Amino acid sequence: MNRGPFIFLGVFIILSLTWALVINKPIQESGHLSPIFDAEQGGRLPMNAKGGAAQGKLVYQEFGCIACHTQQVRVSSGFDLQRGWGERQSVARDYIDQTPALIGNTRLGPDLSNVGQRRSDREWHLLHFYNPQITSKGSNMPSMPFLFETREIVGEPTNRALKLSAEYAVADGYEVIPSRKAEALVAYMKSLKVTYDLKEAPKSKDVMLEELTAALENAK
Amino acid sequence: MNLIGNLCSSLCSNLEGDAKNRGTQRTIDASIRFPLVSLFKAAVCWMLIATVFGLIASIKLHTPSFMEECQYMTYGKVEPIFWNTLIYGWLFNAGLGCAVFLLARLGGVPLKQGVSLTIMTVIWNLAVVIGVIGIMLGDQLPYEWLEFPSYTAPIFFVSFLGIGLWCAMAFRARVQRSTYASQWWILVALFSFAWIYSAAQIMLVCSPAQGAFQNLVSAWYAENVFGLLIAPLAFASIYYLIPKTLGISVVGYRYTGIAFWSWILFASVAGAAKMVNGPIPVWVASVGVIATFGLLLPTTTFSIQFLGSLLSRFSKIWDSASARFLFAGVVSFIAVMMFKIWGALRGSQEVVQFSIFDSGVNQLAMFGFAGMVFTGASYFILPRLLNKELPSSTLVDLQFGAHVLGLILLAIGLISGGIHQGELINGSTADMLTVVNTMRGSYFLTSMGLSLLLLGAIAYNVTFFWMLLSTRSEKEASTSLIEEAPELEYTAS
Ligand code: HEC
Repeated sequence: MNRGPFIFLGVFIILSLTWALVINKPIQESGHLSPIFDAEQGGRLPMNAKGGAAQGKLVYQEFGCIACHTQQVRVSSGFDLQRGWGERQSVARDYIDQTPALIGNTRLGPDLSNVGQRRSDREWHLLHFYNPQITSKGSNMPSMPFLFETREIVGEPTNRALKLSAEYAVADGYEVIPSRKAEALVAYMKSLKVTYDLKEAPKSKDVMLEELTAALENAK
Repeated sequence: MNLIGNLCSSLCSNLEGDAKNRGTQRTIDASIRFPLVSLFKAAVCWMLIATVFGLIASIKLHTPSFMEECQYMTYGKVEPIFWNTLIYGWLFNAGLGCAVFLLARLGGVPLKQGVSLTIMTVIWNLAVVIGVIGIMLGDQLPYEWLEFPSYTAPIFFVSFLGIGLWCAMAFRARVQRSTYASQWWILVALFSFAWIYSAAQIMLVCSPAQGAFQNLVSAWYAENVFGLLIAPLAFASIYYLIPKTLGISVVGYRYTGIAFWSWILFASVAGAAKMVNGPIPVWVASVGVIATFGLLLPTTTFSIQFLGSLLSRFSKIWDSASARFLFAGVVSFIAVMMFKIWGALRGSQEVVQFSIFDSGVNQLAMFGFAGMVFTGASYFILPRLLNKELPSSTLVDLQFGAHVLGLILLAIGLISGGIHQGELINGSTADMLTVVNTMRGSYFLTSMGLSLLLLGAIAYNVTFFWMLLSTRSEKEASTSLIEEAPELEYTAS
């Protein structure tokens, strides 16, 4: 125990073995997944993100949204399904196109894996980013006025401008225009949805039952 | 005041009283004075900066309008800046400072090439500065405690390689052939960090693992930063300071080997426990949970050794600034490990997963355990290094009081607040805005805790710079102030 090389060797062996066990082994075994092609569900699964959304993902990284938002749905614990944050467990295949994957581990706000499904309104997102108090009074999500430009109205008001209520309105003759970054972030938010099924993570029984009843209703 | 002159004389090794009184130790201390002063200088400054960022982040949680116009200071940037300056700024510099001192003293020889060590650490600190600016400008990476932009990684890596090699050479140069536990822990910290940092950078940035597995690598890395870098440096300081400040050898020292190997084994796996319920194979998380329970073994051994030693000389603790901080650090350590192990239980996972509980435990580990131990060690090292007395015991008392109280508030705010938050988010469908509203009190408490920590950090800075810049008194210049107990320099068999 008194010799430097012995300690080095011991530590080296332990660290390589534990790394091989908890990092390398899982990656070798299930870290090389490929997409699935399923014509019924619209082709390649998971679906590829579109251009604007990819830009928005960079903005999401830049402003560290991951400090408060996760992008993973759990079914074996918690209330994720009841909260409407998703319909099934998130599995490794859902993330194969994502580098970096913004999975996160802290939830000061809601999970965003499926935010595009429950919130598809561009205007809502823009107002929320401009100042969360407008849409969600009492939220502690940071506002991002710097993603918007307040400028003088020249001629007609632009139709891209935010529709602010009197309480949050800017000075008369001025309007608030979302920057390209803000639009990209909204595109990214709207792109976040896991609508397809995977064999390894079937939707929960409740969800399937609901869909079945809805289908029956339709058939009638 | 002739500040520059005083600074030079703090750094210069020519003291009349030296040769007579503490011959060897003086030359040893002199050989590392320059790098050590610069390390501690960096550490105290980063401590202040990190605490300020932590406070800003915490305030933003209960008063989101605070500094909301500034795009460089939004919560998502301030939070990672806080953690990264805390770890790579304050604790790394302070821990390395302690390590270098221990390597020199325990090795029993003056160390060469102090200047190259200083250069390496300056480069390291420059990398931290670049990293902070990079995060502000929006280049952060989305991995816990690796948020510094990818372009800082080569700088960190190269400077760390230099630091590690320097320390390895310092270890080899020792005249005492047999080694003491402190030295093992220092070797572990240096070797492991090179390993985990390069592994994480390769598997996250250079050739990233597939999607979900990045999360695994990131959790593994973050847990190891605590378990294999920061904690070992703190253990090294504790094993050294207990005999030095209390005048006894560590209780149950012969069990050190068990604690040592079992800690490395279990700590290096424990990070996987975070993957519970996540999108990767279930068995990985289970192995991590088992390893976290395994940490009970080394934790028990450490607790018996450290608490046993401290409690057996309890009255002495309050006489010595170092021992007092050490005691607070050890108590925090035990609390942290209990929370970590409790948090890995299936039932508690269901409650606290994704809540601010983890952040609370980590802050207690960093501020409470490592921070208090390194501060205690610096109150032992600095007077010897500079041959000056601590300028004001009131300031030290103030720092101690502020830190202890701050830690308690922080723990209540984040740990018990986190449990409450978890109950609401994971155990009910309460609206998110209701949760935010309910948590406001906890966030507020956390801010108060961090304000106290800030007060402590200011007191520490004042003490440090006062000491560095003050003129040596007659007594300080001509005699050795410190009664060393030479037989304790080396307590291992
Ligand atoms: C301080 C923590 C925090 C940060 C940082 C944060 N959020 Fe939020 N977010 C919240 C909270 C709390 C809510 C719930 C209340 C609300 O709607 O504002 C929320 C809600 C949301 C919602 C609505 C979700 C829903 O289901 O209604 C979206 C979308 C969102 N955030 C996107 C983002 C984006 C994009 C970023 C990064 C620019 C971000 N958030 C950063 C805390 C945060």
